[in-house]
Amino acid sequence: MPDNVVSDIAASEIVETVPSALIILDRNLNISSANRAFYQTFRTSPGETEGCLIYDLGNRQWDIPALRTLLESVIPHRASVEGFEVEHDFPTIGRRTMLVNARKIFRPGDHDGFILLAIEDVSEERAARKESNRNWQLTQSIVDTIRDPLVVLEDDMTVVTASKAFLTIFGITQAEAHGRRVSELGQHQWDVPALRHLMEKVLPENKPIESFEIEDDFPGLGRRVFNLSARKIAQPGNHSHRMLLVFEDITDRKQRERDALTLANEISHRIKNNLQIVVGLIAFEIKSTSAASVPGLKAMQARIGAIAQLYDLVSQSSRGGAIAVDAYLGQIAKAMSASLIGDKSGIEIRVKAEPLEIDPDRAVPFGLLVNELVTNSIKHAFPGGVGHVLLSVERVGDEIELVVADDGIGMKDKPAVLEKRGSDYVAIFVRQLSGTLTRGSTEGSGTSIRVRLPLLLVPSDGAEPLAA
Amino acid sequence: MAVILVVEDDFFIREVAEMMILGWGHEILSACDVPEALAHLRSEQHIDALFTDVYLKREVHGGADVARQGMLLRPELRVLYTTANRVTDALHALFAAGTRFLPKPYTEDQLGLSVQNLLIA
Repeated sequence: MPDNVVSDIAASEIVETVPSALIILDRNLNISSANRAFYQTFRTSPGETEGCLIYDLGNRQWDIPALRTLLESVIPHRASVEGFEVEHDFPTIGRRTMLVNARKIFRPGDHDGFILLAIEDVSEERAARKESNRNWQLTQSIVDTIRDPLVVLEDDMTVVTASKAFLTIFGITQAEAHGRRVSELGQHQWDVPALRHLMEKVLPENKPIESFEIEDDFPGLGRRVFNLSARKIAQPGNHSHRMLLVFEDITDRKQRERDALTLANEISHRIKNNLQIVVGLIAFEIKSTSAASVPGLKAMQARIGAIAQLYDLVSQSSRGGAIAVDAYLGQIAKAMSASLIGDKSGIEIRVKAEPLEIDPDRAVPFGLLVNELVTNSIKHAFPGGVGHVLLSVERVGDEIELVVADDGIGMKDKPAVLEKRGSDYVAIFVRQLSGTLTRGSTEGSGTSIRVRLPLLLVPSDGAEPLAA
Repeated sequence: MAVILVVEDDFFIREVAEMMILGWGHEILSACDVPEALAHLRSEQHIDALFTDVYLKREVHGGADVARQGMLLRPELRVLYTTANRVTDALHALFAAGTRFLPKPYTEDQLGLSVQNLLIA
């Protein structure tokens, strides 16, 4: 078989196999032949097609101005045209978008040649692209509607899109923001290693950034504080490689917090200075009073000191109104340990506490109760100046149980249960806290004081405490 | 016995502190603000230790400034700070190395112990 015949057969097989619709036009734009894909796509047959002027095909549905332009104005002057897009309502198949590639083909000795048209139906692809564009515009509208500045980032930390609020703050356009890294924005305020480290974990580890504060001077805005949060953009299948980075301007809130802190410091300063004056007044009394009264007055000074100390601890331990008992006890123990000097330096105070919370109203009497009990242990349990005091707090049912136990000399002739109307400070604080006290002591094997208090829960919304 | 410069802007508190210190047999020099304190520190007067309030009227950290300048003028100066402010890390950061701190309100025993430790260190 001659080579040209073999190549003709091979070429026709290829043409039939190609998924794009192909037609061959002669120089008069009559259809010489078409492939199977053409007949299937346009629901026609070789009999209706071959020899027909392309414009007359299928009740002149191919008489499309754009196609006429291609075939009559473009093709005569160029050897080939690629990516010519034609959108048209075909009566048989409806509105379609066709991508037309055209090439003039000449055979040896044939100067007129013919035109090969490859027609690809890209309607679905174009519709998907339009839908994608609509979705993108909707997303951009939502992004622009959100008051806080935010950006969408690629996994390489470059900006995909930014909200209007973001562009306004940084004084840049969407085009200028697009493709830039966060670290390059503004005056490089966001080029912080700790932030970069956190952001690098958002996508691969799906680990959001909940709060990262940056305070800096922003041109045109002045000094601002931003709280950054970032999380992976959720998509079905979790295949997203983009993250949302939100910049919350918390400048005003921070200022209010700082004002409140300044006020709290000022109040604390005045209160403790006044307590210092009270302690000083007692010091004057001590100078002129009988020796028998001195211990009582000194104990009074120590209690005033404890109140001042608790005042600070309450304000430092406070979390949204509630006091973390474990941290609070730890600080009390630390402060009391610091006062164990001289012949008391061999005494060690330990804390074992569950993570419980109490309301701030009860924190000061609770702290004073602990202070009294520990002071009693230190004063009476260790004549040798060596021993341990253990402070423990745990939840027992609907109650908090506070135990102050020592391994000292113990007590004798002490009632196991406190009298209902006891007049000492411990009794008063226990009554104030609506608690009960039991005392366990064996001579020579230490003392333990057990105080049960009702567990008060502090709701997270800061409402009034509720009884459990 | 030592010479101790007491810097405290509250008259009554300063008087009581001085009374306590005198009671232990020490000598005292007295100042109510930064200029008065620096005048003592720049003088020829022998001074062993400085007991200063951190927060002085009109000068939020005036006592810390007095201590810093005092230690430059007198490298051997021993310093004991006090304050009624909240004791925070930021406050501790103001204290010079090798100095001591006694929070308000302090009792005579506590001040006595602090001064004793300050002078033997």
